[in-house]
Amino acid sequence: MISLVIILPLVLGLIVLAARRKSVNRTALLGSASVYIAVAFLQWRGIAWSWLPGWLLEYFRFDSIGLYFFAVMALVFAGVAVYSLSYFKAHSLSAKQESVYVAEMLFFVVAMAGVILATHLALLWVFVEATTLTSALLIYFEKKKSSLEAAWKYIYICSIGIALAFVGIILLSIGSESVGSLFFSDLYEHASQINPFWLKLSFAFIFVGIGTKAGIAPIHAWLPDAHSEAPSPVSALLSGTLLNSAFLGLLRVQEILIRAHQEAFSNFILLLTGFLSLFVSAVFMLRIRNYKRMLAYSSVENMGIMFIGVGLGQPGLFAAMLHTFAHSLSKTSLFLTSGNILRDYKSKKVEEVRGLLKRDSVTGWLWIVSALSIIGIPPFPIFISKFFIIKAFWLNGESWLAVLFFLFIIIESFGMGSAVFNMAFGEPQSDDTGRIKTVLPAYAPQVVLLIILLIVGTDMPHQALDLINKAAGFLR
Amino acid sequence: MSDILIILLGTTMLYVSAVSRIEAYVKALAAQGLILFFLVVIDIRQISWLNITFLIFETLVVKAAVIPYFLLTVIRKNETVREVEPYISQFYSLLAASGIFIFGFVAAFWSSRTGGTVKPLYFGVSIVMIILSLFLIVNRKRIITHILCYMMLENGIFLLSLSVANELPMLVNIGVLLDLFVAVFLFAIFFNKIHEIYDGSHVDVLTELKD
Repeated sequence: MISLVIILPLVLGLIVLAARRKSVNRTALLGSASVYIAVAFLQWRGIAWSWLPGWLLEYFRFDSIGLYFFAVMALVFAGVAVYSLSYFKAHSLSAKQESVYVAEMLFFVVAMAGVILATHLALLWVFVEATTLTSALLIYFEKKKSSLEAAWKYIYICSIGIALAFVGIILLSIGSESVGSLFFSDLYEHASQINPFWLKLSFAFIFVGIGTKAGIAPIHAWLPDAHSEAPSPVSALLSGTLLNSAFLGLLRVQEILIRAHQEAFSNFILLLTGFLSLFVSAVFMLRIRNYKRMLAYSSVENMGIMFIGVGLGQPGLFAAMLHTFAHSLSKTSLFLTSGNILRDYKSKKVEEVRGLLKRDSVTGWLWIVSALSIIGIPPFPIFISKFFIIKAFWLNGESWLAVLFFLFIIIESFGMGSAVFNMAFGEPQSDDTGRIKTVLPAYAPQVVLLIILLIVGTDMPHQALDLINKAAGFLR
Repeated sequence: MSDILIILLGTTMLYVSAVSRIEAYVKALAAQGLILFFLVVIDIRQISWLNITFLIFETLVVKAAVIPYFLLTVIRKNETVREVEPYISQFYSLLAASGIFIFGFVAAFWSSRTGGTVKPLYFGVSIVMIILSLFLIVNRKRIITHILCYMMLENGIFLLSLSVANELPMLVNIGVLLDLFVAVFLFAIFFNKIHEIYDGSHVDVLTELKD
């Protein structure tokens, strides 16, 4: 299984670069996405095998939380892979351009899978840095001046952040000399032997480093630029899976603190930065002019909600996990739909997009429904996750924080809702009333993702509930 | 002997705080790579020969030769003005560096009292290298100096890792080095592009994206 997830897409990426043929590119992209979905399904059913040597296998493992994050990633990747076909067509990419796009995307996905499956803290670090390196060129894929600026800021800020995370790993190594290993299993088992001072200091550094990748305020500077300047399918992958994999990295470190009974410290940091993210996104969301940046700030907000869920301890964990899934699928749908809007209107400015429903009704409806999903209107699952977080505040006796939380999400919902409805309704400008030629891959992924969200939100299958509960149960 | 080498390593950081030529930064970077190589050789502990060979390759070949040479080529190709152009004067830069050194020595003294097996001088100077590199990054206008200071930050982290008794598995070591190598390569690609498109290489030109 690990070989299918890590090695196969790497090999396919190299083949794609060598072949430079459209059929090979598309087969490799869709094939890898199908393999990811199949592996997630088989792992979930408990079917596993591997051809890799044992010494290599000990570095990668599907545990309960890893399987959950991998399944979410597989869904998002599949949607992005299908949508990419319409991106290729809309931008009339040559076979060479397509092969560069596909190869970079496959390398990027492998790096994210590495983060999710790594069993060693330093190896997780290697893959987090690899996600930066593999995605930077994707952000600059359209070769615009603004995308160059975004890519530079992204790679530089994240590299500095990740370097500091490595400092944290070394500090943890100092504090855990008696453990003598940075495998998560050893760190968890002997967590009580780790010096609390070094553990907390290392968490602070790792939080800064991996938190930068997770897009949490105040270390989110790269996120709005990168998400808005990358091609829309790449933005979807960045928001729907990259942020999650960094979040998972932090959760794995958080578990060390929980087992060492130092979680009060990390929970405080998680809650503080979570609320700061809500505040920052609320401020920007109210005066947003660029709809892709609006989606990026929404990612900052939703990462904040996930951090708050984890920071609340046991009562908020289920909500955080459910929110991870719901945010990834909703945001992927939104970013992919934003690609359709950009294709139709050639502008990212909110005020230049009017009458979306009249000009391209399918895109218009997808835009509205996806926005309702991310805002958390019932029956979408984000309503449930936000509700459970508010409940967790009450259970923890912090009802005033619940009020603050509620206030922020109302402001953000208002900011996003007004932009989305202004774009969807009204009359299209006279010069952009041309008919839009419908291409199935430009709509189908969003429809499927929204149907999955509706199913989970209305009548959650017990298998899905079990998966989320097991993921939440990872943190004790 | 290793103490002298570490002090020399710290001196290279003071040197880059005071100089104004970009090429002096590259020389300092190469010197750091060489000093780290000697440190690895002199300070061999009970680690496997495979790890020692890898560390020698990493310091002598990658840090002391390949990366400095590569960055020097990039500079000679692109930079017409070869001054670092700081936001604050060299004098204040040096003053701040001195302050960071004092903090580093306090950290070294403090770490010696924690009771662990941390080597105080390694710890202190690596903290100095990390903080001073970050200070120089925010205090220099040219993007190429940012890349050079990032490499110095990495050298500081490498020194910090030498202060710890535990060693990382070879797979991780290879991954770390590969990441570093690709990062420098990509930095250079983006630096070239910025220079080409913006007709300059100050960070000040990157102001198109804002809310």
